Amino acid sequence: MTSISPTLASMADTALHVGSAPAWVLAIPLLPMLAVVLNTFSAIFRVKTKLPAWITIACLAGSFLATAFAFMTLSGQTNVATGWKWFDLSWGAGQGQQFIADFGFYIDNLTLLWMLFVTGLATLIAVYASEYMEHDVGKGYTRFFVAFGLFVFSMTCLVMGDNMLMLYLGWEGVGLCSYLLIGYFYKKPAAVAAAKKAFIVNRIGDLGLAIGVMLTFVHFGTLEYAQLFQSEQLAGYIAAVLEGRAGDVPLMAQLIAVFLMIGAFGKSAQFPLYVWLPDAMEGPTPVSALIHAATMVTAGVYLIARMLPVFLLSEWALPVVAWVGTFTALLAATIGMAQFDIKRIMAYSTVSQLGYMFAGIAMLSSVGGVYHVVTHAFFKALLFLCCGAVMHGFAGQLDLRKLSGLWHMKGWRVVSVGMLVGCLNLAGVPFTAGFFSKDMIIAEAFVTPGYGYSLLGWTLLFTAGLTAYYTFRVFFRVFTGPVQYEPGDEHHGEDDHSHDHAQDDAHGHDGHSHEDHAHGHDHFHPHPPRFAINFVLATLSVLAVLAAGLYFVSPEKHGWVGDMLEESTAHNLYTADHSAAAMFLIDGDAHAAHDTHADAAHGEHAAHGSILGFNPHEVMYYISAIFGLTGIGLAAYLHGPRGMVSGFLGNRVEAGKCRMDAVAKAFDPIPRWAENKWYVDEFYHFLFVRPLWVVSYIFQTIDKLLVDGLVNLFGYLPRLLGRGAQPGQSGVLHGYALSMAGGVGVILFIVVLVTL
Amino acid sequence: MVLLLLIVIPLICAGLIVFNPREQAKYIAAGGSLVSVVFGVVALAAFNWSQGGMDQLTFTTPWVPALGLNFDIGADAVSLLLIALTILLGPICVIGSFTAVVENQKTFYAWLLILQSAMVGVFCARDLVLFYICFEFTLIPMYILIAMFGSSNRRKASTKFFLYTFTGSVIALAGFAYVAWQHSVFTGEWSFNMAALGETARALNASQQAWVLLALMAGFAVKVPLFPVHTWLPLAHTEAPTAGSVILAGVLLKLGTYGVYKFALPFAPAAVLDYAPFMAVLAIIGIVYAGLICWVQTDIKKLVAYSSVSHLGFCMLGLFAVNSVGVTGSVLYMISHGFSTGALFLMIGMMYERYHTRSMKEVSGLGSKMPVWSTFMVFFVMASVGLPGLNGFVSEIMCLFGTFQSGPWTGQAGVTPGATFGMLGPVFAAFAGTGMIVAAIYLLYMTGKIVWGPTREPDDHHAHEVLPTDLSAREIGVLLPLAAGCLVFGLYPAPLMKAVEAPVNDTVAYVQSLNTGDTGRVMVWTAAHEDDHGSDHNADHGDTHTDEHAQDEHSEDHSGEGH
Repeated sequence: MTSISPTLASMADTALHVGSAPAWVLAIPLLPMLAVVLNTFSAIFRVKTKLPAWITIACLAGSFLATAFAFMTLSGQTNVATGWKWFDLSWGAGQGQQFIADFGFYIDNLTLLWMLFVTGLATLIAVYASEYMEHDVGKGYTRFFVAFGLFVFSMTCLVMGDNMLMLYLGWEGVGLCSYLLIGYFYKKPAAVAAAKKAFIVNRIGDLGLAIGVMLTFVHFGTLEYAQLFQSEQLAGYIAAVLEGRAGDVPLMAQLIAVFLMIGAFGKSAQFPLYVWLPDAMEGPTPVSALIHAATMVTAGVYLIARMLPVFLLSEWALPVVAWVGTFTALLAATIGMAQFDIKRIMAYSTVSQLGYMFAGIAMLSSVGGVYHVVTHAFFKALLFLCCGAVMHGFAGQLDLRKLSGLWHMKGWRVVSVGMLVGCLNLAGVPFTAGFFSKDMIIAEAFVTPGYGYSLLGWTLLFTAGLTAYYTFRVFFRVFTGPVQYEPGDEHHGEDDHSHDHAQDDAHGHDGHSHEDHAHGHDHFHPHPPRFAINFVLATLSVLAVLAAGLYFVSPEKHGWVGDMLEESTAHNLYTADHSAAAMFLIDGDAHAAHDTHADAAHGEHAAHGSILGFNPHEVMYYISAIFGLTGIGLAAYLHGPRGMVSGFLGNRVEAGKCRMDAVAKAFDPIPRWAENKWYVDEFYHFLFVRPLWVVSYIFQTIDKLLVDGLVNLFGYLPRLLGRGAQPGQSGVLHGYALSMAGGVGVILFIVVLVTL
Repeated sequence: MVLLLLIVIPLICAGLIVFNPREQAKYIAAGGSLVSVVFGVVALAAFNWSQGGMDQLTFTTPWVPALGLNFDIGADAVSLLLIALTILLGPICVIGSFTAVVENQKTFYAWLLILQSAMVGVFCARDLVLFYICFEFTLIPMYILIAMFGSSNRRKASTKFFLYTFTGSVIALAGFAYVAWQHSVFTGEWSFNMAALGETARALNASQQAWVLLALMAGFAVKVPLFPVHTWLPLAHTEAPTAGSVILAGVLLKLGTYGVYKFALPFAPAAVLDYAPFMAVLAIIGIVYAGLICWVQTDIKKLVAYSSVSHLGFCMLGLFAVNSVGVTGSVLYMISHGFSTGALFLMIGMMYERYHTRSMKEVSGLGSKMPVWSTFMVFFVMASVGLPGLNGFVSEIMCLFGTFQSGPWTGQAGVTPGATFGMLGPVFAAFAGTGMIVAAIYLLYMTGKIVWGPTREPDDHHAHEVLPTDLSAREIGVLLPLAAGCLVFGLYPAPLMKAVEAPVNDTVAYVQSLNTGDTGRVMVWTAAHEDDHGSDHNADHGDTHTDEHAQDEHSEDHSGEGH
């Protein structure tokens, strides 16, 4: 055991005090479960109304209110509420060793923060879905809301679970719901394949998570957060790291973070496990908004924030996360730039933004990472829901070359404004929420010392420019310019509507079917969203704008999120000064450690890093604003309509043609490769799926010929030897029974004979 | 006494079936199995769950006194839970076969009930000969069920099933006989009491134990089945009637793992420890190899059959982790697998009754055709995949945890409070864990084909005369208890863990007490002892006694150090 150091002693007074939460907090997870149960009954009684939606909305709203009440009464404390015992086993001398995991909930500020936006957004999106899914009332409607409720329940288990197995339960539970909802249009092969892919790719990450959980258990003898974060052993390791004796931390303890990281990469769609998320857009749009943009995919960020003390034990886990996050951000942005399906653009943008969050949290700006989670949850949900409204109104049309000028169409103003708000946020236009949260992350890259972090900082800035470009590419193409549209091929309300999809993948991105679809839709009238959808879009727009205000709440702690995280594992005593902690991690310099740690107590950043000689935190606003606005300007020039900004920026006069076409031609193969996602899927297929399939066939052949063949040979030998004993192989049952009894008798007889 | 009733009631009902008209056979069988369930509940209620040892609900009567044979039954928590599983599956199999079996109903139901008696007998036997007789006797009803009621290739399947498992069992019998003989040598009198024989077996030296283990494993590994002696299973499963498959997967395979738990671990702890890595490697090969084979099947029944091989690899792995978490996980796996895989076989049977094919090439996309069936299918597939909140996860993750804990950590026991003594470790767990991914691949592949996607039905498909398109109330009634079981098992397994804690800890203690407290390499210790006594397992009377003393001394030396 590592000796307790002075640093550790000074931590003692801030140690974790875990109380027990009042029983009503169980309503937060149980209300969504109630919705699932009630909706199951709706399914059994074949309800053919919108009842399932109302049940879900009511339960989720209740859950949100309970969360809000918990936020008001319990924030700043750490409490545990136990439902019942789940895993319970003890052994060893005096039953000293235990394997315990309760079905219990751990409520601290990190939890509350996450639950607030999860339950809040879930409620809003349920309202949206009540209208969006109305074509399926009496068909898939109930199924949709059962899975929806189950998802929120699983998410509460993931975020609120008081031990790592509960986290795992939620982790796989949200995976299941994701599977069920991606595959909602289950007659469509693309949807089925996407659902399967999502589950399996996630399972690869889940294995990493499982190994991380097992390592944690073996090392610390507990799975419960309360015990883990109070464990002297963990404190000892942390102290060792802080004192520059990182080598004293056993390798196996360092590996915990590495395996947890793999789990986080799977769920949060980071390279190399990101490939499932864009395909997941086969699901209904509310699902994309809630699960694949706002909540589930941020679970990886939650995991790292929750387990940050454990991540600090490893010298390379966090740097790897930072590099992977940045690389993913860049890679996904390049793919997003070349897509034509607006939902897929948003999907790649989600992957890209998740990369920012990972980079942020890995650069020990847990506040920046988590703040970006919150702002992103609002504006990305908003963007998806706007895309969904478009898709809903134009019979499934998502190709930005076939839609134009929605801003000018009657009934589409709320959608257009919502889209604009979302795009401004995503592009990081100054004074939006997305601007502040992204800046916190990028600035940290220049402050935190690490392996090539300033390079990562510049990459993230460049990516921010790309983000602004592809975001406004969508906005300028779809919402501005001449009013032109072509409907998709969805025939809502007809029984075989998903059957048609099966044949031609109109959600594809080739766009060569321009003419093919023109006929047959002569009498198409887009139907603009009605009250429920507009209400949700308006509310989300307001929230997305207001999220910027969180930055100005308690500025001395980097905003409201910083204030919240201060009382949680994501920003606890170990990381009181994250940059200093990083210094110790990377340099392992004991002296510097003590000195800067003292400084850090005052919340001062020593001049660890700079950007072009300036303090990054001060100039980042301007630099990132420049990158963002350049991106928007580029989008306006290449995709903007003629007449916009005194007629000199864009020149687009019809939906399908713009300046970008020429640019794309000039760079020819590159945009095409980007559109084909750099062939990563094909590469994986070639490298992993095919070989595994071949190996499986080989195994099957081996099983048949070799393993079973040997057995048959053995079975055949006696037959060869005993041709004379042919009647013995009669196949008649009593023959076997008799010979068996005889055999037993003979063996017993021999045994007895030998012994007497 | 109640255990005796559980054996006798099905036998009586089988008799009734023989002497009553054909039409009543299925109702008698259903009634009899439901009465068994009632008595099963009585047994569960009467049981004291906090107690270890196989000495509750006992019934003993002399059988062949000259040979020390007794008809001696009793139960500990593990056996009682397996008995409960057996009798729960009883009515499910009977009622699930109402429309599937139309010919020779009397034969079918009578043998099904006899099979149930034999299986209960295996789990509650306290006498080795009784155990072995019941163990072997299960083959006959199963053989008949496959041979008479199976599908096209049933003759080959049943013969192979019978001969394969029978051959293995005979070798196991030799192992038992050897232990019994040693016992008579030690004590001067014959006894087949399992507890007494266990003590004798543990007193044998390491190389003798190794032979005993080898013999026992020859019998039990075939039954489990462990790679590479698994090839009878896919064939038997595929050809068996639905009820046969359910029983086969649900209970008969567990006879193998139960045998390992009940005999291999307590009889030959030193050998188990020595050979644990070897067995674990076989289990892991089974997990991945069989899992991948599942993926390329087109016959869904064969797919699920191979998945049993893969799943029971986890079960074996947990047993050879020889620590509390692993063995508890393994025991829970025996029960949990009976629920989810049994249910999958029922589901496939229901589909087969309607479409007369099991090929995924001929039937697919039943989601819109049979929504209720599809819902259950997805549910049980998820249980089988090991989704947390359902039964499969609880047992699977515990087997993995046990494997993970068991091993090289021991050297630094003070540093890692979650570690235990054992021969496996993180590498084993990581490789076995890939089975989770493989399971997702093949089971979702199957679901994607058979439930989702565009509907396809065989060309010559005719509507079933009796059955509706989707599930009938009877079929739903058969599935509901299993679904409820999966859910309760997954969400609230703690009582089960507490229930088996005492017996499992007793069993585990036999191995854990071998912990010499040094680097955990028990091999060093066994090697030393082999030098003392040589590897001659035909040691004479006196020599074996020396062994026993040496062993006793050893356990005294280190009894304080085990944990």
